[in-house]
Amino acid sequence: MKKRRSPFLTFSFYAFLLLIASSWYFVIGIKNASLTELFSKENLEYATKFFKGLLGVGQEEIAFLNRDSWSDAFKLTVETLQMSIMAIGFSTIVMFLTVIPAARNVADGTLTLSRRWYRWFVFGLIRVSYIFSRAIPELVWAMIVIFIFKPGILPGAIALALHNFGILGKLCAEVIEDTDSRPIRNLASAGANRAQILMYGVFPTVLPQFLTYILYRWEVIMRTTIVVGFVGAGGLGQEFKLSMSFFHYTEITLLLICYLILVIIADYISEKSRFFVK
Amino acid sequence: MLSFDLHKRKFLTVFLLLLFAWSLMGVNWQEGVMHSSGISTAGEIFAAMFTPDLSMDILLLAAESSWLTLAYATAGMSLALILALIFGILASGVLSSGKRSRTLMKGSFRGVLGFMRAIHELVWAWLFVASFGLSPYAAIFALAIPYGGILGRIFADMINDVPEEPIKALRATGASRLQCLFYGYLPSVKNSMISYTMYRYECAVRSSAIMSFVGLGGLGYQIQLSLDDLHYDEVWTFLYFLIILVVIIDGWSNMLRRRMAQ
Repeated sequence: MKKRRSPFLTFSFYAFLLLIASSWYFVIGIKNASLTELFSKENLEYATKFFKGLLGVGQEEIAFLNRDSWSDAFKLTVETLQMSIMAIGFSTIVMFLTVIPAARNVADGTLTLSRRWYRWFVFGLIRVSYIFSRAIPELVWAMIVIFIFKPGILPGAIALALHNFGILGKLCAEVIEDTDSRPIRNLASAGANRAQILMYGVFPTVLPQFLTYILYRWEVIMRTTIVVGFVGAGGLGQEFKLSMSFFHYTEITLLLICYLILVIIADYISEKSRFFVK
Repeated sequence: MLSFDLHKRKFLTVFLLLLFAWSLMGVNWQEGVMHSSGISTAGEIFAAMFTPDLSMDILLLAAESSWLTLAYATAGMSLALILALIFGILASGVLSSGKRSRTLMKGSFRGVLGFMRAIHELVWAWLFVASFGLSPYAAIFALAIPYGGILGRIFADMINDVPEEPIKALRATGASRLQCLFYGYLPSVKNSMISYTMYRYECAVRSSAIMSFVGLGGLGYQIQLSLDDLHYDEVWTFLYFLIILVVIIDGWSNMLRRRMAQ
């Protein structure tokens, strides 16, 4: 017997088809974007010129064959690495401060066996702040933060942390919601106070899972560091933008190479450490 | 064994804390980290949060740019899905027959997928704009390539995690590799593929909003313009539109996932 599809699924399916069709219609019909124009002779010329520039064909100064530019790029790479670590550090600290009241089973008192009237209020407040921080992309945060802080790696780290603490908080609150509540309730009924419950009950069970998420976010942050640099928040991204505006194409290639190396290293570390944590 | 574990964990904690301390040393704290008027600016921005500009033309502009953002995200995502299906199936190696050709295929296509997702979408956008000008296709391709890479990698993992037995049964009845794919692998991973795509769709909307940074229009572009004019109230209007857009898609995908899990 065939299972009946729920009307919601059917509705979603058609809604998506409509959405996809209308957005393509919008792009092709209203915005008049044509693929053939994209691959016109003129554009081909531009593209070959651009890629030749990237590879340094016919240029006197080729940045990625130059020792000094390599050492400059290395300095920037270290700076970018510092920025990413700082960002994940900040967001981890904020996450740890807020994650406990943000779990649903803490708010309704099933985990700690104690009910307070303000718990739901705090829960709602923190969850709204998570949504807020999550929904605004890091680049927009960076544009705002740069108004307040001097350019450098600190505003970049803050912008990245502002976006990521919401994501980390949501993921980690879900981990707390999924923990086995029996040992923790046992602690509570044995008379442990809040701090003790936290130290001996909650943290030992959730920390490995937290660490996995933190490393996963760090990997994502590593990839985004270049983007927040675009608005002047330091690191490889800032230099990338400068070279782009000065048309120093070979420098761009060099920076892209450094960036790729960083991303691959981050990828590898987070992959390996998942086994280590287990 | 337990003491060793404890030791290992403590070691890891200390190591991570040291790493964090090292990163803090990268900042020049002596010279002051804020602009001289930094705190008052922060106060102004924060105050504007409660008084977003709700005049008619700003609202209309915000709605229009939200649609632009959503349209780019949807178009990019549909392209990414196609890319991911093709590359994901190839990278899972279920189509190749011999052991050696399978490792070769897995390795090479996983490498391609890794390269696609290693570069951030905004960098792709920049490269595309620099090489063929401001066209909506630059935004769409720039979204489709990294998202195709992420989705493709996850799809390949999902296909590889399909239990062996049903496939062996299919094989025993004489199904070809393509038939195995269509009647064995794909039906069993379909639901998880859809839910992961939905999850990524939310991220794509956010990325599409910042795509505008390279000059392609949309919510991020408006936010940047308003920020440059120091109209913080307008900034918050656009930000609220973006938040609502993301929350709606998030809620929809949550509902869809819950229904499909039943």
